[in-house]
Amino acid sequence: MSAGVLAFPSGDGLGRLGQRVAIRVLVGILVLLASATITFFALKLTPGDPVRAVLGGPTANPSPETIAATIREFGLDRPLIVQYGLYLERLVSGNLGVSFSQRQPVASVLAQQIGPTLQLTASAMLVAWALALVSVIGTTRRNRFLSAFGSGLEAVAASLPQFWLALVLLAVFAFGLKWFPPQSRDGFAGLVLPTLALAIPLAGFLAQVTRESLELALDQPFILSARTRGLSDLAVRLRHALRHAVLPGISLSAWAVGSLIGNAVLVEVIFSRQGLGRILYQAVTRQDIPLTIGVTLVVTIVYIVASTLADLLFVLVDPRIKAATR
Amino acid sequence: MKRILRRASLARGSTALATLFLLAGGISHASAEDVTTPVKGGTLIYATDREPTCLDPHVDGDMPQVFIAQQYTDSLVSQDKQGRIGPWLAKSWTISPDGKTYTFQLRDDVTFTNGEKFNAAALKANLDHIKNPATQSSTAGGYIQQYVSTDTPDEFTAVVHLSKPYAAFLEVLAQGFLGIQAPTALARDRNVNCESPIGSGPFKVVKWDRQSEIVLERNPDYNWAPPTADHQGPAYLDQVIWKFIPEPSVRYASLASGDVDVIESVPPESEAEAEQNPDLKLIVTDRPGNPTNGSLNITRAPFDDIRVREAFIRSADITSALDSVFFGRYRRAPGPLSGVTPFATADFQGLYDYDPDRANKLLDEAGWTERDSAGIRSKDGKKLTIHIPIGDFQGPADRSLWEQIQATAGQAGFDVQLETVGFSDWLDRDSRWDYDAIGAYWNTNTADVLRIVLSSEFIGAAGSGGYHQNASGFKDAEFDKTVAKALETQDEATRRELYHQAQKIVASNFLQVLTYPQSTRLGVYKTAHGVRLEPSLSVTTLYDAWVSK
Repeated sequence: MSAGVLAFPSGDGLGRLGQRVAIRVLVGILVLLASATITFFALKLTPGDPVRAVLGGPTANPSPETIAATIREFGLDRPLIVQYGLYLERLVSGNLGVSFSQRQPVASVLAQQIGPTLQLTASAMLVAWALALVSVIGTTRRNRFLSAFGSGLEAVAASLPQFWLALVLLAVFAFGLKWFPPQSRDGFAGLVLPTLALAIPLAGFLAQVTRESLELALDQPFILSARTRGLSDLAVRLRHALRHAVLPGISLSAWAVGSLIGNAVLVEVIFSRQGLGRILYQAVTRQDIPLTIGVTLVVTIVYIVASTLADLLFVLVDPRIKAATR
Repeated sequence: MKRILRRASLARGSTALATLFLLAGGISHASAEDVTTPVKGGTLIYATDREPTCLDPHVDGDMPQVFIAQQYTDSLVSQDKQGRIGPWLAKSWTISPDGKTYTFQLRDDVTFTNGEKFNAAALKANLDHIKNPATQSSTAGGYIQQYVSTDTPDEFTAVVHLSKPYAAFLEVLAQGFLGIQAPTALARDRNVNCESPIGSGPFKVVKWDRQSEIVLERNPDYNWAPPTADHQGPAYLDQVIWKFIPEPSVRYASLASGDVDVIESVPPESEAEAEQNPDLKLIVTDRPGNPTNGSLNITRAPFDDIRVREAFIRSADITSALDSVFFGRYRRAPGPLSGVTPFATADFQGLYDYDPDRANKLLDEAGWTERDSAGIRSKDGKKLTIHIPIGDFQGPADRSLWEQIQATAGQAGFDVQLETVGFSDWLDRDSRWDYDAIGAYWNTNTADVLRIVLSSEFIGAAGSGGYHQNASGFKDAEFDKTVAKALETQDEATRRELYHQAQKIVASNFLQVLTYPQSTRLGVYKTAHGVRLEPSLSVTTLYDAWVSK
């Protein structure tokens, strides 16, 4: 009998885990190449002209020499396939190129902006899980009123759009009560509202999924046997039922990381936060190919890491998986 | 210059308050508390909506760049509220009779914040830098396409040669877009200079934390303020924090709570409230140039017919539309030049007046006589449809404004289709002339803007990717001749007469649905004083500003 939710695998299990991770890394590299390629051609197929975007759009007045020099500088005078080949060659050697629109190396843009986004994503994920677990453990299969209240609250939370929630939180807690700064400053106070704006809808979603499987788990015979051994209700829920119930939520978390980064765009703008979301939006609208691909690659890596972690966590939480993977 | 790529909340017409200020001479000035003595020291926090992508105003050249450049660079010449050119880094100048050679006598006591001396070679380095295609200069470079070379006969004399007479040369030199920077700084990689530019202005750029703020510090040696300034010597403020707060309501709330001292682009819905708030003051001033407008594409049907163009302009009830969208705080533009542009006239505003009867009469005359059950007109079985791409970047207020125009034009029988598109799609349609009307404006401090947005020279001037600054496709020999002649003389009366003629031609050809002039709209918290706008482009300057905290 293990003492907690996590069951650590044996040495033999670690070897198999290593294999899984290695396969993941290989697949990850292929996914990265594919996403760079798709982004490259998708931006190339979009109508418009990055040179015009960088030189200020239709109401700018660059000389023909300036336009020609810019086209040459960005390598846009070469055939598409050559541009792609050159780009890939640089990418493989670890050079992400220079952003057209931000006028600095893509690597510097990413280095400056990834911290705040990861901070926001991680804190939103933690808070979402905490809120979800409190709601689920506290209200599932209690009395009828409490259960209905919990699942009702979760349904409402899950359906809230993040940008709307962000504006409401701002209006109430920053403009009205003045508990938190309206612009996201450094430090804890500035992180609270953006985190809640992202975490509350996600919490509702995670809780709905977890509640359903917790209900199923609580019906299992082993729960009854645990209860007959004299374990308290909370202990039964935490040690036995929850371990089954969190599995779907864990798989969803990998997807949630991607969706959090996507939703961070609006939240970052609303709270004037630094971050990749705002940068990606600008990069796409200005057809800034190097920067768009750079951000896409980072988000893809974060997603791959998150789903690998979710897989590992899955095995740790549910030892049955370990047996099934040979 | 210009810029379509801005939030609609930036660009506004005027208010009763602003009108008063304008009547008083263009620039609204801090009043009551300016009586008290400025205090030296302290930090002013300034919050704006858009972040520049480069701090060197020569590169590209979008409005956010000139706002920051105004704090750390000086210009060669200054421009006052009446549009007159005065000295700044140049003490005096002479212009050759053929208008192609400008000889500047420069100040000999100016140093850049890196210790470098300002002299004729520095001026040459700046003009050469702007002209160099590798700089990617769209605005400054566009304004001095006539520039050929600079001679430096002695250290503080610069002889600038132009390829043709260009009477607007001094005017554009007064813009912050052509701000003077240290030659060794300009010699660095373009992207490095974007990040850490060096000027001779009252402040120096210390740090740029992207998507967050720029930190500026006082230049303690500054002693060459322009005659438009209220004091001489170094700036009062120790430090300026220049923050980016894109969300309008957050920007305004930060001001109202005193978190920041000054905001740019006060949201129109908050202006009335700001006026009532004793802690706040508004500074609202129009910008010079071609006002916000819908340029009518005259290269294809139906706007190739002047009667249909006039009918469309006459059918648009702009005053009511502005009142409803901007809470009565925006005034209609007086003509193809915004009121604060040198040589602007309101003499032809009547041609843009709302007149639905005339609109209907003109459409009948033009043969658009059949009407369907919805009242939409058609001719030979073809509906009177007007396609207008609206970029998603134009913001909700601009879109609402077009919806109002759509409604009143619909009463005259126009089927106005507002087509929302993304930035790149919008650029694409613009370059292919695939529109009947398209949103435009151009901020610049000279009436020569008429040549840029309406002369045949700019229909395909830049020759690549469909670039055309002349969005209506207007091609008129008399107009071209008039605006070209206006550049050949420095005589004010002659220029006034020629630009009056040019504005008449534009108005009577019905080329643009004029809405509101672009404007700078600052909100100032009670802790900040002496904030003013440099007249050349109505751009914030914090040189005379001080704080009481």
